[in-house]
Amino acid sequence: MEMFENAVKILKEKMANEILEIRVPKPRRAYVLLKPEYHKKVISALMKNDENVMLSTITGVDLGNEIELNYHLACEGAVTLKNRVSREKPFTKTITDIIPGANLYEREVFDLLGVVFEGHPDLKRLMLPDNWPQGNYPLRRDWKPAVEREKNIVSEEASQTEQTEENDAGSLVNIIVGPQHPVLHEPERFSFKVDGERIIDVEQRLGYVHRGIEKAAERMMYFQDVFLVERICGICNAAHTTVFCQAVEDIGNIETPPRAQYLRTIIHELNRVHSHLLLLGVGGHLLGFEALFQHVWRDREPIMDIIERITGNRLMCGFNSIGGVRRDIDPNTIEKALKTIKDVRKRAIFYKTVFEEDATLRMRTEGVGVLSKTDAMKYCVVGPVARGSGINADVRKDDPYAAYDEIPFNVISYKECDTWARLMIRADEILESLDMIEYAFSHLPGGRLRVRVQRKIPEGEAVSRVEAPRGELIHYVKSDGTAYPYRVKVRSPTLANLVAFPDAIRGSYIADIPSVMGSLDPCFSCTDRMVFIDTKKGQKWYSNLDEVNYSKNRTV
Amino acid sequence: MMPASNILKWARRNSPWLLHFNTGACNGCDIEAVALLTPRYDVERFGIKLEPSPRHADVLVVTGVVTKQCAPRLKTIYQQMPSPKFVIAIGACSCSGGIFQGCYGVSERLDKIIPVDVYIPGCPPKPEAIIQGVAKLLEKLKG
Repeated sequence: MEMFENAVKILKEKMANEILEIRVPKPRRAYVLLKPEYHKKVISALMKNDENVMLSTITGVDLGNEIELNYHLACEGAVTLKNRVSREKPFTKTITDIIPGANLYEREVFDLLGVVFEGHPDLKRLMLPDNWPQGNYPLRRDWKPAVEREKNIVSEEASQTEQTEENDAGSLVNIIVGPQHPVLHEPERFSFKVDGERIIDVEQRLGYVHRGIEKAAERMMYFQDVFLVERICGICNAAHTTVFCQAVEDIGNIETPPRAQYLRTIIHELNRVHSHLLLLGVGGHLLGFEALFQHVWRDREPIMDIIERITGNRLMCGFNSIGGVRRDIDPNTIEKALKTIKDVRKRAIFYKTVFEEDATLRMRTEGVGVLSKTDAMKYCVVGPVARGSGINADVRKDDPYAAYDEIPFNVISYKECDTWARLMIRADEILESLDMIEYAFSHLPGGRLRVRVQRKIPEGEAVSRVEAPRGELIHYVKSDGTAYPYRVKVRSPTLANLVAFPDAIRGSYIADIPSVMGSLDPCFSCTDRMVFIDTKKGQKWYSNLDEVNYSKNRTV
Repeated sequence: MMPASNILKWARRNSPWLLHFNTGACNGCDIEAVALLTPRYDVERFGIKLEPSPRHADVLVVTGVVTKQCAPRLKTIYQQMPSPKFVIAIGACSCSGGIFQGCYGVSERLDKIIPVDVYIPGCPPKPEAIIQGVAKLLEKLKG
C-alpha cells in the first residue's frame, strides 16, 4: 500500500504539469489522464522513484476520434496512465527502451488497433494471421467481421512467415517444432538460432490460438461474458471468471457477500493445486521421467473430484457470477474435501522430496534456463517465474482480493533463478494452497451467496488483478452504461513470461528447451512452434518437441 | 486362413495410434485428453498410444475451434497421415464452433475442413465420455 501511495504522491506533487486529470476511486486503484506524449516521462519518473514498479500491460481503447493507450503499472495496486493518440495518425513513442518487457504488449496493440510505436525494435505482427489484410484492425469499434468475410481476403495458404523463415535459413539450420507438438498440446511457433548444440537466440510467433475473444466480449452481455472469459483458458478458468466479475463489480459498486468471497477463494485455490500438479507431472514428462508424470496425474484426480462435487464440472466450473457465486457447498462435501486434502498433502510432500532429492532430476534442471533477478525485473515477469528469480511478488499479498486478506499464507520465493527453482515454487505452493483451502473451509462465513445485479452496468472503467496459477492475471473492463461492455482487455500471465523466454533459454542446450519451456508453464490458449538455425553448418531440419527431447546425443 | 485384410483390421482395432492437434482450444479438452493416458482412465488398455508424428498416426484427435492461423496446418497434418485415417472431434468447439462461433480469428467449422468420424460434445467432455467416443470408433473399425 505504501508503494501505491508513494506513486500517487509523486504523480500529484511532481508530475502536476504533465497530468490533466487524476482519479483514485478506491484504495490501490488510480486512473491518470496524461497530456499527450508525456507517458514516457511519467513512467520513467515512477520507475526512478521505486525500482519495483512493473508494467502489467498496455490496453488500447478506441474512443471514436482518439485511441486511448492505458499503461497499467503494478505497484501494490494498479496505476493506469492514459495517453491519447489521434485515430487518423496513430503514432506514439515506444517505452521498450525503458521497459524491455513492453515489447509484446506494444506489438499486440500495433497488431489489433494499428497504433505505431516509434522506435520499437521489432514492430511486427503478433496475433493475427500473416495473410490478414493490411489496415484491418479488429479491435477498432467500427470494424465489422462481415466486411472481411465477404471479400474473403484471408486465403488458406501456408502463412508467409513460415515460408520466408524456411527460405531465409540459407547457411543455417532450422528445426521447426510445431505448431503441432505433442508435449504442450498447444500450437505455437518458436524460431531457435543454434550454434552446434548451444542456443544463441529465439524468435517467437504467437497467434495460433487467437480467436478474438476481446471483440466477442463486446457483443455479449456482461453476464454472458462470464461464460466467455471462462473459456479463455480451461486450466485457470476460475481465475478468469473471478477477475472479470471483480472488474464488473468494481464498476457497478457491487458488494459481494463474505461467503461468496470465501467460496471464490476455495475454488481459485483448488484450481491452483490442480494446475500446479498438472505442471509438475508435465515437467516430469518433459524431462523424460514418465513415471513421475503418471503418478502426479493420478494424485491430481481426487482434486478434480472435489471440484466436480462443488461446482458440477471437472474443469469449467461455471461457479462465479457477477455479484457472488452460483452454488452453495454442503457440510458433507466439506468433510469429503477435507479428507481428500489430507491424502493429497501426503503425496504433495512426497513429490516435493522427489524434486529436492532426485539426482537426475536436479542435474537436468539446476543451472538450466537461468533468468537473473535483474532480467526478471526488466522483463516484468509474473507469478512463479518471478518468484523463482527471487522477486517476492504475489497479487494475493500485494493487492488482496476475495478473502485473501483474511487467510494466512506465505509467499514462496527461491533465489536459484533456474528451472529447478521454478518447479520447486509449484511444489511448495501446492502445500500452501492446501492449507489455505483447509483454513477457508473451517472459517467459512454464513449468509447469502450472491446479490442481485442489474443487467445494465453504469458508465465507468476498472482494472482487476488476481494471482492465477501462472501469475498475475489482469482484466480491464470499460463500460458505457449499457448491458454490453465497451471494451474488455485480458492480459494473461503467459504473455508476460514469454518476453523473458529468449533470455532464459540463451546459452542452454537444445535438449533443455522442453524443460525450460515447461518451467515457464506456458499456456497459449490464454496467450496465444520452434525453428532451429545453426549458424555454422548449412543444414536445416524439422522436428517436433518430443524428438528434441531425445536429441541430446544427436550431432547437429 | 484369415485373409490379409482381416489381419490388418484386427491390428488396427487393437492398436489405434492417436495424434492430438489443438487447433485453438482453451486447454480444457486437451487436459482431459491427456488425463485419458493417466492411471485412472488408462486408455492404453485399448492399445491406444499418443503418437507425436502425423505420419505414424491412425486417428487425428482435434480439440478446439479451428482458427484461421491453424486451418492450413490442420489440412497439412491430415494430408500427411497414412490411409485409412479417422478423425475424432473433442468438445463443443470442434463439433460446432461452440461459444466462439463468429469470432474474427475463427475459420470454418472443423467438419467443413476435414471429414469427422466421431463427435464428442461437452465443454469439456468428461474423460469417460471421450473413452465412449473412442470405443465407438473402435466399433467402426470392426465393420
